[in-house]
Amino acid sequence: MRLSFIRPISCYSVSSPATSVKLQKPLFVRPPTFKTTISDLKKWHLWAKSLTSSVGSTFLELDNGPDSELLLRELNWLVEDAIQTPKSFLQQPHIKYNDNSSVSIRASLEQLYMLWKQRVEERRPFQYVVGCEHWRDLVLSVQEGVLIPRPETELIVDLVNDAIKENEELREGLWADLGTGSGALAIGIARILGSSGRVVATDLSPVAAAVASYNVQTYDLEEKVHVKQGSWFEPLRDNDGEFVGLVSNPPYIPSKDIGGLQAEVGRHEPRLALDGGASGMNDLIHLCNGAVSMLKPGGFFAFETNGDEQSKFLVHYIETKKQGNFSKVKMVSDFAGIQRFITGFRGR
Amino acid sequence: MSFLILGRRSTQLSRIPRKLLLFSSTFSSQSPNTSISNNRSTIFHSSYSSSNIRNKGFSSIFKGSTKNPSGSLWGVRFLSLEAAVEPTTADGLTVEGIIAKNWNILDDSEDDWKSHASSIAQSVHLIKKRLKWKRLMYRLEVLSAQLNKADLWDDPVHAGKISREHGSLMNKVEDVMAIEQELVEHIDMIKLAREENDPELESESVKALLGIRRNVKEKELEALLSGEHDNCSCFIEVQAGAGGTESMDWASMVMQMYKLWAQRKGYGVSVVDEMPGEIAGIKRATIKVDGENAFGYAKSEVGVHRLVRISPFDSAKRRHTSFVAVAVIPILGDGSTHVQINESDLRIERFRSGGAGGQSVNTTESAVRITHIPTGITASCQNERSQHSNKASAMAVLQSRLDQLEMARQAQMNAQHTQSLTEISWGNQIRTYVLHPYRMVKDLRTNYEVSDPDSVLEGDLDDFILSFLSTSLDKDEE
Repeated sequence: MRLSFIRPISCYSVSSPATSVKLQKPLFVRPPTFKTTISDLKKWHLWAKSLTSSVGSTFLELDNGPDSELLLRELNWLVEDAIQTPKSFLQQPHIKYNDNSSVSIRASLEQLYMLWKQRVEERRPFQYVVGCEHWRDLVLSVQEGVLIPRPETELIVDLVNDAIKENEELREGLWADLGTGSGALAIGIARILGSSGRVVATDLSPVAAAVASYNVQTYDLEEKVHVKQGSWFEPLRDNDGEFVGLVSNPPYIPSKDIGGLQAEVGRHEPRLALDGGASGMNDLIHLCNGAVSMLKPGGFFAFETNGDEQSKFLVHYIETKKQGNFSKVKMVSDFAGIQRFITGFRGR
Repeated sequence: MSFLILGRRSTQLSRIPRKLLLFSSTFSSQSPNTSISNNRSTIFHSSYSSSNIRNKGFSSIFKGSTKNPSGSLWGVRFLSLEAAVEPTTADGLTVEGIIAKNWNILDDSEDDWKSHASSIAQSVHLIKKRLKWKRLMYRLEVLSAQLNKADLWDDPVHAGKISREHGSLMNKVEDVMAIEQELVEHIDMIKLAREENDPELESESVKALLGIRRNVKEKELEALLSGEHDNCSCFIEVQAGAGGTESMDWASMVMQMYKLWAQRKGYGVSVVDEMPGEIAGIKRATIKVDGENAFGYAKSEVGVHRLVRISPFDSAKRRHTSFVAVAVIPILGDGSTHVQINESDLRIERFRSGGAGGQSVNTTESAVRITHIPTGITASCQNERSQHSNKASAMAVLQSRLDQLEMARQAQMNAQHTQSLTEISWGNQIRTYVLHPYRMVKDLRTNYEVSDPDSVLEGDLDDFILSFLSTSLDKDEE
């Protein structure tokens, strides 16, 4: 297999302010400046429910997309995020509200119609619709152009936590989250580090860098997390060899599979964050190579992969091509039983 | 189908290896014992004064010893209740004596001290019955004896448990005794006032008695919830019985009834787990009910609930009978001993994990199921918006189920309960709801019934719950 290590080098200078990016606030933090009546809201809700029910399992059969049961749950969450008062409008049916009484909402009723249409008819991911993703105990802002962090990826924070418990030195050191996207991993890790622990989060995409910075601010972590725009290790050159940990969820889907992806992913999420080249492993291999010089002796790495095949290949790659550089390299499976991660330590 | 599950569950329960049931060491230094209050000492006059002094000494010593549980301090005598003299008036009238006088109990707006006194004495009698007074005093003696053992702190976990239970029982006993003491004192005071011809003093004491009378009425209710875990929050689980869509619909009606009941009581309600039926209703669901005494009330609902109606799912409009099983599990507080769960005994799986996962899939479905391998007990949560939160919720359910299992096992060991595990977790048929041919809800344990099923299904359950609690506690002891 011929592997291309070349990745488009960023044309932006390192950590240039992404001024052109327009940030979209998550729905649930927008001010409740719109008013409607209970009866109009109920009408919308009925409409949305019937649109949702008509989906049945067609998306599921088509491309493993959501069925109507899942969509109905998302609809409840949309209501939860959109309504200021009365919060209990759907949860407490025994309270009889006057149909003409006013409801404060965070998007206009027209927007709510449009948003739900987009969700069902265009298969726009729910997380883009409400502008946020609940991930671990965080609520992260996401928008088009940024990969929606996946539930599987949550486990990387647990893996880091386990590594830190084994070796407390890691708690106070310098970490990197490469291709940070929404900043999920960087934020998750920053919150378990000690007072002098720091994370540098990099991403080639200016949208991702801007969204990650926004999320870092939301969690008051500007002191701990530095977001830098640029390709992989490029923005980190100053700190070569100083990192106690590297994590990444790089693009790993083989190019040929991109066309057949679930509509929510293939049509709406950024290809830059998904496409890992012909084998899907271009970036993963780039990361394994780079980790040798970036990590301090004893430093920890955890990378997410496409599953069993890639994980096996990478463990073998490290053990043969990077012989002697790493120790305790292993695969770790996600909750679906797929070998989703490879982890290991830089040899001492 | 569901009852099959129940059966399997119960056999699994009985096979728990002993080693899994070890308690974790959660003894907290904030033992309730330290709260044996000094402020209450103001009401311990006259005949209680000797024990009062000991009590003060005891609590201050206890504070010291929680910081340094070295054992030797525990040699100090605990308040011995046998030594406490029964409160009597100057002319020898006891609380039981007041009841025996059979004074008329008038409405509490009447300024009649005998009526107040009689009402208070009756309430005290009822409270003692509800607290299972004799058994309580015996238990307290046993605990005091254990606390006095010099080697108690060789096992700090056990010691913590003993002293916590002792403290909590002690509080209850002191509460009641304080009322009795106040009662006889005010009677003395009234008699004295009459002798001295001091109407102001007399009316003050009558007023005070009225205050006690009202206060002790509330305590009657509180005494209904005097079980060890009654004050805890809880999970309520509902499971549809055999009978397909009809009973799944019934299950969702029952779940809705509890949600509405809990909301009326001002409890926090959240759905933890819900498995919808194919056509309508739910196969099973778990909700978390958050608030003071949630378990104490909800435990009355454990059992099978039966519905009789014309099924809306039967095109021939025939009458159907369906069943739903309800389980209630207390969520033990931080001060309680939890069963230690070993990470390596858990299997955590994702629900509906089809396909490649990872970047290839975008889904808001992040439910997990946790299996405790040694017991086979599972818990799942799918209603949170992140996998992390779903896992945390499922772990909380699992912890509570294992805790309940351990409590049931210990109760059996103590031979206090003869109920089988199945009865504890799911119970027998307790209530019938008839919507056709007539309309009625009847509790089979208390025979309490109402003719308005709609209000019950809208969560108006308190009368059923209180009548069950009082019937089960007020029947004559032993």
